[in-house]
Amino acid sequence: MKVAYYKGCLASLSAKELDSATQALAPKLGLELDELESVTCCGAGDIHEAEPDYYLHLNARILAYAEATGADTLMTICNVCTLNLRQANHQLQHDDALRTRVSDNLERVGAPPYGGGVDVKHLLWLIAEGDGYERLKEVAHRGLKGLKVAPFYGCQILRPSKLMGFENPDAPWSLEAIIAACGGEAIDYPAKIKCCGFPIIQAREELALDELIQPIEQALEAGADAMVTPCPLCHLSLDAWQQKLEAATGKSYQLPILHLSQLVGVAAGLQDSELKFRRHVVSVKPVVEKLQVGKP
Amino acid sequence: MDVALKIWRYDPESGQRELKRYEVEAPEWACLLDVLDLVKDKVDGTLAYRKSCRMMICGSCGMRMDGRAVLACKERMKPIVDRGHVPTISAMGNMPILKDLVVDMGPFWSKIRAMKPWLEPGYEEYPEKESRISPAAMQPIQKEALCIMCGCCVSECQSMESDPEFFGPAALAKGFRFVGDPRDKANVERLEAYNDEHGIWDCTRCYFCNERCPKGVDPRDAIAKLGAESVKEGIDRDMGAKHAKWFVHSAKTTGWLRETELVPKTQGVVRALKDYKLAISLAKHGKVPPPFPPHVAKDQKEARALRELVSAQGRDGAAGIVQGEKGLAHAVHAGEEELERRKEIRP
Amino acid sequence: MEAKHDVLVVGAGCAGMRAAIEAFDAGADVALISKIHPVRSHSGAAEGGINAALGNASDDNPEKHAFDTVKGSDYLGDQDAIEVLCDEAPGDVYELEHWGCVFSRTPDGRIAQRPFGAAGEPRTAYAADITGHVLVHVLYEQVMKRDIRTYEEYFAWKLVESDGRCQGVICWDILNGGLKTIGAKTVILATGGAGRLYTGTTNAYSCTGDGMAMALRVGVPLKDMEMMQFHPTTLSPSGVLITEGCRGEGAYLLNADGERFLERYAPNAMELASRDVISRAEQTEIDEGRGIDGDVLLDLRHLGAERILEALHGTRELSMTFAGVDPIQDPIPVRPGAHYHMGGVDTDLWGKTTLDGLYAAGECACVSAHGANRLGGNALMETITYGRRAGQAAAEWALSHTTVAVPESTVSDAERDLAALLGREEGERPWAIRDEMAQTMHENFGVFRREHQMEAQGKIIGGLRERYEKVVVDDKGMIFNNDVTQALELGFLLELAACMVVAGLARKESRGAHSRPYDYPSRDDESFMKHTMVTWAGGTPKLDWAPVRVTKWEPQERKY
Repeated sequence: MKVAYYKGCLASLSAKELDSATQALAPKLGLELDELESVTCCGAGDIHEAEPDYYLHLNARILAYAEATGADTLMTICNVCTLNLRQANHQLQHDDALRTRVSDNLERVGAPPYGGGVDVKHLLWLIAEGDGYERLKEVAHRGLKGLKVAPFYGCQILRPSKLMGFENPDAPWSLEAIIAACGGEAIDYPAKIKCCGFPIIQAREELALDELIQPIEQALEAGADAMVTPCPLCHLSLDAWQQKLEAATGKSYQLPILHLSQLVGVAAGLQDSELKFRRHVVSVKPVVEKLQVGKP
Repeated sequence: MDVALKIWRYDPESGQRELKRYEVEAPEWACLLDVLDLVKDKVDGTLAYRKSCRMMICGSCGMRMDGRAVLACKERMKPIVDRGHVPTISAMGNMPILKDLVVDMGPFWSKIRAMKPWLEPGYEEYPEKESRISPAAMQPIQKEALCIMCGCCVSECQSMESDPEFFGPAALAKGFRFVGDPRDKANVERLEAYNDEHGIWDCTRCYFCNERCPKGVDPRDAIAKLGAESVKEGIDRDMGAKHAKWFVHSAKTTGWLRETELVPKTQGVVRALKDYKLAISLAKHGKVPPPFPPHVAKDQKEARALRELVSAQGRDGAAGIVQGEKGLAHAVHAGEEELERRKEIRP
Repeated sequence: MEAKHDVLVVGAGCAGMRAAIEAFDAGADVALISKIHPVRSHSGAAEGGINAALGNASDDNPEKHAFDTVKGSDYLGDQDAIEVLCDEAPGDVYELEHWGCVFSRTPDGRIAQRPFGAAGEPRTAYAADITGHVLVHVLYEQVMKRDIRTYEEYFAWKLVESDGRCQGVICWDILNGGLKTIGAKTVILATGGAGRLYTGTTNAYSCTGDGMAMALRVGVPLKDMEMMQFHPTTLSPSGVLITEGCRGEGAYLLNADGERFLERYAPNAMELASRDVISRAEQTEIDEGRGIDGDVLLDLRHLGAERILEALHGTRELSMTFAGVDPIQDPIPVRPGAHYHMGGVDTDLWGKTTLDGLYAAGECACVSAHGANRLGGNALMETITYGRRAGQAAAEWALSHTTVAVPESTVSDAERDLAALLGREEGERPWAIRDEMAQTMHENFGVFRREHQMEAQGKIIGGLRERYEKVVVDDKGMIFNNDVTQALELGFLLELAACMVVAGLARKESRGAHSRPYDYPSRDDESFMKHTMVTWAGGTPKLDWAPVRVTKWEPQERKY
């Protein structure tokens, strides 16, 4: 299946491991990625809040370039990108006058217009059901060997459900299904659908850390060996800011956080050069050793 | 149909908290509120909860079902009974519990009042007839005007859970009801007040408020509209505003987010330097991309030109968000059945 | 006495809040009492709109509005009261707009007005289909702006009458428990209607006629109590309201044969005839077997998804949640439901009752602005105009009097009565009495009334009142005890029911909402163009009559 691929800011820079794992994984899942290059940051909630008209145009441009590849699906690998692009897409697809105005502006700066012909889907959705799921089961031959994995959805892949609409926002199942297909054991805990705090981790650190500690402590208490998330922003706060939680509480957490592509990649036999675990702040060594990653 | 419920009881006079199970026979059309009435009438008259209109307009009956805030008069019981599920009913969150399902709405109303929630038209003598305001000019506040003050959004607000002084989604949506009203002339004053340390930029964007609101107010979007108006008015002293503006700057210069500079641009150099331990650990793992040479996206001149073009067209501030509401309403309407179906899917 | 005020307003819906604002602006020390938070008041459930001859949609004037109202009232309305309402309505609506009311607008920015039942011109100003909600919130904003003292969740139970004056209110404090007495130089009752007398009703649980019963018990007469309006479009079985605004937008009413049956009852106005005419038409269709499971159909489909989503969004939500029907796709099953009480506390044009210091405004009052049938959109208007007038009059009276005295005996009597109720261990729970009352009122005192049914109902109510003497409450606690307040509300309702039946039997004609097609099918102006007046005498209603005040319009045949 050919999809337009929008990797987003973090996968381009500080979370390169997410991009490398995804690109290595894709062919195994039958996904032919047509990477978009003439794109910008989707704006996160920030451009949506600071300059909403610009947010709409930036996302329309991404959608337009995706449409221009001929694919009907734009694949994302980040919760925030997914919400932003889907929100913009809904606005443009269901309001002809707005789409006309925005497309005219795009054309005036030399970008293609947008006709409304693309659907935005996170990799998570492509492999949690249907053909994608069947493929996943086939390729997960290395398996997670019963590894206890805590799924962390975060907020923006689930809510607002009227824009996201893939699964029940209060009882999601996609990550659990993927963990099971990869031979792992999914851990359940209440904070798996709560916000990690990333959007305000700089502007309101104390508040954000109060949010962040919940999934970490709950998952560990429930016996998790590792945590998986479909969002590189959640990943950054869960992984890189975990040390701040340790500093604040005096406890040692050391919970390895995996990107979705890495979790599936491990089960599909990707090499360390593709998974790039060394780029994580919290060591993934315990998982690597247990699963003998990188060994033939 | 036979309906079973578990209700968290709280007796303020004894201090006792207890989860009790109740079973009653209810008609098939019954909502949660009807079942509570049957329990109170026929089983235990001491059960305390608020109710009035039973038609989703008065806002009295906010409570939690399975940990999620709902209006009791809106929740049909038949689908729950058909699934064989016994829901747990408890009082709304983030507000002190007075008794059983009744919360103290005092702090809620204090925050509403702190918004100065009355029109400031800027004149003392009223003209003879109505102000002339076009439908388009009144459009920005149509959603915020729907708010029935039920508290469901506040109950689920993650920022308020961690910062109890956060103004919260209901108060801020009410605030936008005035900032967005063309007849109100106190915009700048209001925005200054709402940019408080416990104001707009406290919002963590978890979208629980949008998800739980029974009326479709979308308080998170109202908060975003306030942010947009603040930036438009040049009120940007909060770190949250600075953070947001750097995203704009990144998008129009390099396209991709200029991550490394984001920290000092948000927090200021001094404070950023204090966080050196974090910075070093990030750098060790390759998570501090060097700001030079800048990582520029392909065809970036388009994004630059787009910003200029769009700025000149003047749909800045809240208008930029309001313009998308029509499309979103139609999108929701178009997808409603599929959404409901998907919410019920079990793997 | 917990406190003392110049003006004490009981009930914080549109009428109560408007009265309080006016009294405050007149310089009085005002307080509001409400058994629920002000914004929970049932005024907020009003949907379709508020009438005023603004002239934004057509060439309209207060006189046309007044004539429509007089005719709509089936000539039982007091015409001076109606003229005042229609003259002052435009100014009141403009004031609401200046306060920030979020009205729907015409393309050129004026307040939009839509056609409504029995109106000769489109004069119903509206805010989509949530007009009441928008009014309640703008009024509460103005209450907050003035920081008007509000006794929130105080259940007003008895009026203090002493020295020929009303001097305060005795309340049960719902949040903390116990009786609290608040003294006042003037008391304004603004407690709304009593739809809870009936099973199928548009009214909230809180609409239990509290103010009317409190006034009755201190000897103030209640006027036209038999006049209960049945709104033609309510959902079954609950009675949830589907706004007349749907018909204002062009919706059709159909019977089981798909026929727009109003052709046979009101060929000119069709779906926009007056409410009593339509309710009778529907009930006839249903009784004669052309209904579907006791309903007729309200069809909005031809209005189109766009217009429904824009102007009738609330209606769609209600229909989908409570009837499982999306009006974009299917017609909504509806039937008549008890909705609005034209009758109430007898007042003059300033809300003054026969008891000095006691005023009433809004649905609980009977000026009479609506006579035997109320026009859609006139109720909200009455709450504002007469709420304002009552507030003004009460403030003036209060500011020119100095004393307030609450005799100890009234307080101790109340304590004793309450202790008797709370102290009872054995007895019947109120719900059975309440449900029987509502079911039998629905059967015997509904859209169509007959002599023998009304007589039977009088006896049924008598029996229920006897049973009520022994009613027991489960909750004996202090904090948030609405078990006891719901029992007290039932007491109010039973007394009002007794008054209604007596008045209904006495009016031997059909006029407006009081329809007796089997024994007295016609209107009899010679004998009955007068108001019923019920006073409480020794625990039972006593009937009298009062003349209708005619200014300009002599009674004519009423056809739509």
